[in-house]
Amino acid sequence: MAEVIVPVGPQHPALKEPVNFKVVADGETIVRLELDVSYNHRGIEKAAESRDFVRVVPLLERVCGICSHSHTTVFTKGIEEAMKLTIPPRAQYIRTIVAELERMHSHLLWLGVAAHEVGFNTLFMWTWRDREAVQDMLEEMTGNRVNYGTNEVGGVRRDLTPEQIQAALKRLPKLEERLAKYAEMVNAEETMLLRFKGVGHLTKEQALQLGAVGPTARASGVDYDIRRDDPYIAYADIPWKVITDTHGDVYGRTLVRVGELQQSLEMIRYCLQNLPAGPIRTAPPRAAPRAEILTRYEAPRGELVHFIRTNNTDKVERLDIRTPTLANWTSVAVSLVNQNLADIPVIVAAIDPCLSCTSRITVVNPKGRHVGEMTWDELSEHGREFYRRRGRR
Amino acid sequence: MSVLKEMFENLTHKPATILYPKEKVPIPPAFRGRIAIRDEKCIGCSKCAVVCPTQCITMVANERPVEVKGKTITRKKKPEVELFACIRCGLCEEYCPTDPKAIYLTNEFSGAGTDKGVVVK
Amino acid sequence: MDPILLAVYILVFPGFVFLLGYAFLFEFLDRKIYARMQNRVGPPLVQPFADFVKMLGKEVIDPKGVDRRAFDVAPILALAAVMTAFLYVPVVASSPLAFQGDLVVVLYLMTIPTIVLFLLGWLSRNVYATIGGVRAVTQMFIYEVPFYLAMLAPALMAGAAGGWSVSGIVAWQQHNLWFAVYQPIGLVVAIIGLQAKLERTPFDIPEAETEIVAGPTTELTGRRLALMKLTTDVSLVVGSALVAALFLGGPLLPWTFSPNWLGWTVGFVVFLAKTLAVLLVLSSIKAATGRIRIDQLNDIGWKYLASAAVLQVFLALLMNYYLVGANA
Repeated sequence: MAEVIVPVGPQHPALKEPVNFKVVADGETIVRLELDVSYNHRGIEKAAESRDFVRVVPLLERVCGICSHSHTTVFTKGIEEAMKLTIPPRAQYIRTIVAELERMHSHLLWLGVAAHEVGFNTLFMWTWRDREAVQDMLEEMTGNRVNYGTNEVGGVRRDLTPEQIQAALKRLPKLEERLAKYAEMVNAEETMLLRFKGVGHLTKEQALQLGAVGPTARASGVDYDIRRDDPYIAYADIPWKVITDTHGDVYGRTLVRVGELQQSLEMIRYCLQNLPAGPIRTAPPRAAPRAEILTRYEAPRGELVHFIRTNNTDKVERLDIRTPTLANWTSVAVSLVNQNLADIPVIVAAIDPCLSCTSRITVVNPKGRHVGEMTWDELSEHGREFYRRRGRR
Repeated sequence: MSVLKEMFENLTHKPATILYPKEKVPIPPAFRGRIAIRDEKCIGCSKCAVVCPTQCITMVANERPVEVKGKTITRKKKPEVELFACIRCGLCEEYCPTDPKAIYLTNEFSGAGTDKGVVVK
Repeated sequence: MDPILLAVYILVFPGFVFLLGYAFLFEFLDRKIYARMQNRVGPPLVQPFADFVKMLGKEVIDPKGVDRRAFDVAPILALAAVMTAFLYVPVVASSPLAFQGDLVVVLYLMTIPTIVLFLLGWLSRNVYATIGGVRAVTQMFIYEVPFYLAMLAPALMAGAAGGWSVSGIVAWQQHNLWFAVYQPIGLVVAIIGLQAKLERTPFDIPEAETEIVAGPTTELTGRRLALMKLTTDVSLVVGSALVAALFLGGPLLPWTFSPNWLGWTVGFVVFLAKTLAVLLVLSSIKAATGRIRIDQLNDIGWKYLASAAVLQVFLALLMNYYLVGANA
């Protein structure tokens, strides 16, 4: 059979977010992959430059629908570093609780999506049902199921009452039991094992070379977790361990995520039981001194990096967001080659892609070695011109 | 095949689905719902309009004497919220200086509508 | 049989009208069981029928460069084939249309929807549909051999008394044990093969939603899609009824009832019970598995299913020689 180009996306049932691959396939085997991730550029980095530190936090919360707490925590952490603030331990613990709950709901969501990609809808429905418990906990503590609105520069906005803590602790045993069941299921379900084992393989060398992060890297045996290697908020005080695996395939990534789910649950329990007393915020100064900060965070999908430049005002001069999905994309392009066409969804889903957070555009002129940005007018003119040319063809 | 047992158990159990318009989930007290304004408490300080991340709060002219810290002053403005631009972050409530809050988030969660220009006064 | 009664048999009961109603009920039950196993609510009773009516009223879109007439005819052909197949499957008692060798005709007619799917995929000029069509045919070559062998093993064993007719094989089981007892391996292979034939999880490879959108039916709209969905439902009924007839003794019980109407009523109830039991098994398989890949199906199909089916045929021949041969 000759080579066929199979377009996947920007609208495709497997990937709910806009991304486009042109998969060049020979029969059912993938030869290579052309990637286009810039479908949903929202200009958040630019928008962040025009808002002060109070108003920018709700904006950054909306970079990603799932790791919303990650983006605000990494940002406030960076600004607090620039302002040289000491954050009260109670605030740090509350941040940790929300962060780990977020990791749990993200990983449970992933487990369901991965099962759905291989057509195993029963597990999909069950994990999403049990994910509701996590979402309910988040709703009780923060007032919303996503976009928690917990962080602000200088601490957290809402304290936890003893009733809320008790209610959350009561939910944990049921969740623990379900997690144990899922841990058993991912090892016992024949059809899932058939589709996960040996699929999308990434060696340790490849993972390091391509800069894979998060569970994708840890499943390939890279022992790297920002929570341990560059501890922030309360992670240094909590007993937990980094989950790694040596399979390097989708199965390995599943094992890592299920392991992390169980670790997260323990961390949440520890934090809730050992929540230090005291204030939940310190009053921050209005402006941050001139500084350049690179701040890192272990989001559910991997290492999240914000580069922040402040300039003595109450706004950031430049904010650059490197989402974990962007770091993992190249590993997808590599691990897809020579795989079966049927494995595209599951290999892509295995890095837990979050595409709208990843979309960005940089103009590169290869002749003049010039890298720059476009103004809004240039961009809209480019868009009109692009579609005009397309229409003519 | 470890799912078989649970599958058949589920056949005998009630589904986990909550049939929304007929049944409702309990709303936690901390829930951030639809925005509301207590006009009789508002002193027209504009803090909410300044802090709002989406700038959905506008201050409109409305003159009325109000009491602040025992003194009577004349407030010049009052807030109006463009409902469907509100992201329910709760910053306005947090920055509102009155007690009880003149602008606050209720527990009401259902906010769908067809009129885009709804304004909360 | 009286020509008017025969017309009623074919057109109303237990022919086409009953078949269509039962097909909608089957889809409803399939979805409901699937949903309840997943702890969901599932659709209301008339949902499949409502879907069908709604789709009939939808606009029919012709993709660019597609042979419109072929596209129109193909779903009708598939539906007609499976509905005809149902006429030879005993529902209340032996089918009045039965003739020697009708089992082969039924199996042949049940293959037509797969061929039509391939045709639709090929006609669609859409890469997802083409891949889906090619997968449908590839899958057919894998499951068809073990499925046929498993379905023909009862015919072999029933021998001349059965006359290679579905009704004949059912009648044979009235005097002997069910074939599920004689040929348990055959029953398992037949159920797995049926699941593959109906393209249900774990064998929904041709229409894998997350991979190739809707496979061969991607470009179908309006009444074409409605008819293809109905074909799937009818195939589900015919397949279940065929397995019930060949392995579970069909509508007949070891006892005969008089008058005739009582026998038919009992037969009909037995038919419903057995087909629903087969459906429950099929739905459980659907809920308990994920989708496998076509190369994995190839391995499983040829290594295990085909060997099991051949073994079953061999055992059937041996049993013929020792057990049945001794009686005859």
